[in-house]
Amino acid sequence: MSNDSVNTFNVSLFFPKSSTSTVTNKTGTWSFMRPSYLEKTAPCSVHCPCGQDIPRIEMLVSRGQIAAAWNTILAENPLPGTCGRVCFHPCEKACNRGQFDEAVSINAIERYLDDAAWAASIAPAAARGSAKGRRIAIVGSGPAGLAASYFLSMLGYECEIFEAAEEPGGILRYGIPAYRLPNEVLDREIARIRALGVMIHCARAVDSAFLEGAKHTYDAVFLSCGNGASMKLGVPGEELALDGLAFLRSAKQGEGAARTISVKPHGSAIVVGGGNTAIDVARSLRRLGVSPTIVYRRRREDMPAFEHEVARALEEGVRMVELRAPLALARLDGGIELKVQKMRPAGVGADGRMRVVPDGDATELIFADALYSAVGATHAESWMVPPDDGRVVRLSHAAAFWDAPVGIPLLYGGDPVNENESVADAIASGKQAAIALDVFFQKGAGAVKAELARCAVGDGTSLSMEIYLGGPRANRSGRVVSFKDIPTDYFSPSEKKRGASLPPERAIASFEEIESSLDAAEAAMQAERCFNCGICNDCDNCRTYCPELAITALRAGRRDDWSTEAGPARAINSDYCKGCGICAAECPRCAMIIEEQQS
Amino acid sequence: MKNELYSGAEYLNPGHVGCPGCGATIAMKLALRALGEHTMLVIPASCWAIIGGNYPQSSLKVPILHTAFATTAAAASGLRAALDLRGDRETTIVGWAGDGGTFDIGFQALSAAAERGEDFIYVCYDNEAYMNTGVQRSSSTPWGARTMTTPGDKWKRTYKKNIVEIMAAHRIPYAATASIAYPEDLERKLRKAASIRSGLRFIHLYSSCPTGWGFAPEHSVRVARLAVQTRAFPLYEVEDGTTYAINQAGDKPVREYLRTQSRFRHLSDEDIAQIQKYVDQEWKRLVRKAEEA
Repeated sequence: MSNDSVNTFNVSLFFPKSSTSTVTNKTGTWSFMRPSYLEKTAPCSVHCPCGQDIPRIEMLVSRGQIAAAWNTILAENPLPGTCGRVCFHPCEKACNRGQFDEAVSINAIERYLDDAAWAASIAPAAARGSAKGRRIAIVGSGPAGLAASYFLSMLGYECEIFEAAEEPGGILRYGIPAYRLPNEVLDREIARIRALGVMIHCARAVDSAFLEGAKHTYDAVFLSCGNGASMKLGVPGEELALDGLAFLRSAKQGEGAARTISVKPHGSAIVVGGGNTAIDVARSLRRLGVSPTIVYRRRREDMPAFEHEVARALEEGVRMVELRAPLALARLDGGIELKVQKMRPAGVGADGRMRVVPDGDATELIFADALYSAVGATHAESWMVPPDDGRVVRLSHAAAFWDAPVGIPLLYGGDPVNENESVADAIASGKQAAIALDVFFQKGAGAVKAELARCAVGDGTSLSMEIYLGGPRANRSGRVVSFKDIPTDYFSPSEKKRGASLPPERAIASFEEIESSLDAAEAAMQAERCFNCGICNDCDNCRTYCPELAITALRAGRRDDWSTEAGPARAINSDYCKGCGICAAECPRCAMIIEEQQS
Repeated sequence: MKNELYSGAEYLNPGHVGCPGCGATIAMKLALRALGEHTMLVIPASCWAIIGGNYPQSSLKVPILHTAFATTAAAASGLRAALDLRGDRETTIVGWAGDGGTFDIGFQALSAAAERGEDFIYVCYDNEAYMNTGVQRSSSTPWGARTMTTPGDKWKRTYKKNIVEIMAAHRIPYAATASIAYPEDLERKLRKAASIRSGLRFIHLYSSCPTGWGFAPEHSVRVARLAVQTRAFPLYEVEDGTTYAINQAGDKPVREYLRTQSRFRHLSDEDIAQIQKYVDQEWKRLVRKAEEA
């Protein structure tokens, strides 16, 4: 050992030291799977007849973006204040969260949004489209007619509505009782539609002659006359029955008007029927101090009325007699004697509903001061519905007679052509007719079905105007997100809440609206329960877990303007992505997919 | 869930050679996000000796000192002393070893460093066998698992060493378990470990291994989450060796966890019942300790 090496402590450490990084290794070449971002369709939107972009609405509400959320509704539905109150919300039945704990309070949040937007005087974003130089006549100003005029205006058509009644709204104004839908709410929705330039001529009943001459002024007519004629009971003594629809119409004009067609307080009444009209009649009578009994030929669970409305009616003290079919009416001591046949269930019929048959010869007598008939309604005149003609094209929510003998296309919507008689389905009618007409004028009748299919939401029949107009929503896949697609570990159970309701004893004291709105904090909390199925909310779970640093955000911060910006704005770098798929498996909203790589 | 935006710097480079879906890589990525750039790592023979990069490459943006299998804690002690001599108190030293390098081969150095009260964080990223060399059992391999050295019906019939208990018995200031499936908890624990300077801090970090355990790589996080949800790997922390706190509840049956991996595929219902019994006992003990605290 030499002295040199012993004496020095300045030994250099022969440690090899890295000088480059691994970024030059394109480890993405290992991959045989390829993840990608693909926003999908939520089941709620598919089942909403209006095709509203519900996951996006809930996300915006949870972030306090009230104006954007409200306008997201208005893109697909001109009547959020109405639907937030009276819609039977099939969206909530389809909600994936329902399989986790309880469905999201979509309906109550819609109501909240419209109240909040009204209170804050938020201006609607929907605007009149650039003029197409065509005029459309619309017959009837119920939800179908209003929706058609709204969407046609957005598409640039000049619309005139002809309404037989003194004021617009149809069934919304004259059928749905004030405790469910106050007129002020309807008025502000109609004002918004008028602001788009829609002309509404009230007290202008039209007839078939109008259709004959329409071609001189209009390029098409949309008939949305509703079912204004009550159906008959078809039993002896029928003329003793009062008309349920007429009663509701007077009730909507105030208590005084209602009393002219009602029995005196503390009296009793029979309401025959099982639809929403029967329930509305019974509950309105209750508010006039009358004790109503609903007589229905099938069972409660077979009623076409919305289940929650039936439950409320019973809470309010409405009585119900099931499996009793009217046989005859007779006058007795200033009141009515109703003879009924006892019925019994006899298996499910071809229409999927329980059939009933007479239960032997058993009959009963029921007495009351008055009897209201509410066994359904039909169109008042034959020209209001599509003719029995092979050339009429039946769509899911409308019928189109492109080469009608009157010389211009006639379209039909609303209850007379809808399988499901609801406000939301009526709105769907108006939207479908508007899109169909636009396609007809631009591309001809032959293109209508394909274009409607293009803007369908998911695999259902509801349509999206945003998709039709090529908005960001058009970039989503129609694949519907199912419950098993959602990694529910990212969510914890929480309680569903609606707005507070008046207790039944207070509710029946007047026609005051029963349910109140959620407050802002409650609405945000309820909206946060939403899984936001299929749409990216920039949670960046994908980036958190990506072991390869292969995901880049193309935007700083969150997607703020959903009306213009599509997609998650994330890019996957195929140089490094090994295709492990953790990003897609852990996406809490199912906004990604992974597929085998094509060579 | 909270929608917090992902922000902050990354200290892992792409192009590393970790297997697709590697839990240990996610573990490192999250740990360094919490610790930041003033971090030096000491890595012995392990998967991470490979993932860290073949010479002259490095997959990390912070320095790594590669050491021999048994010497992680000794090298970390020396590195700390050298930095102290240079007046650098800011840099955090992290010993980063697998379960083989911790439970087995590096154990004496770790125990000694803990006893001396050395100032560094020791992270055992645990994939429950010698994965880098081809899945040989370690003393961290759980009861019931098949490995290349416990194959067929010779599957492992001894229990996993409880390393956190052993480290807590050294009365070190901080010992905790963490999981890649709970990033917020993981990052909080590493930041907390970095803030304590009065002795060795030990993190037992669960790192799922698709290659060695037999599951599809996209399930790495799900398997890790199930380990916590079934109490097979509870999340808890121990301060000063005595004060226990449980960080995450879970009550799913352990079967759900076992059934995700082919290394447990052979287990009979009776075997699973035995594992469940063991898991329940361990959980009960843990709850008792947490209640005492």
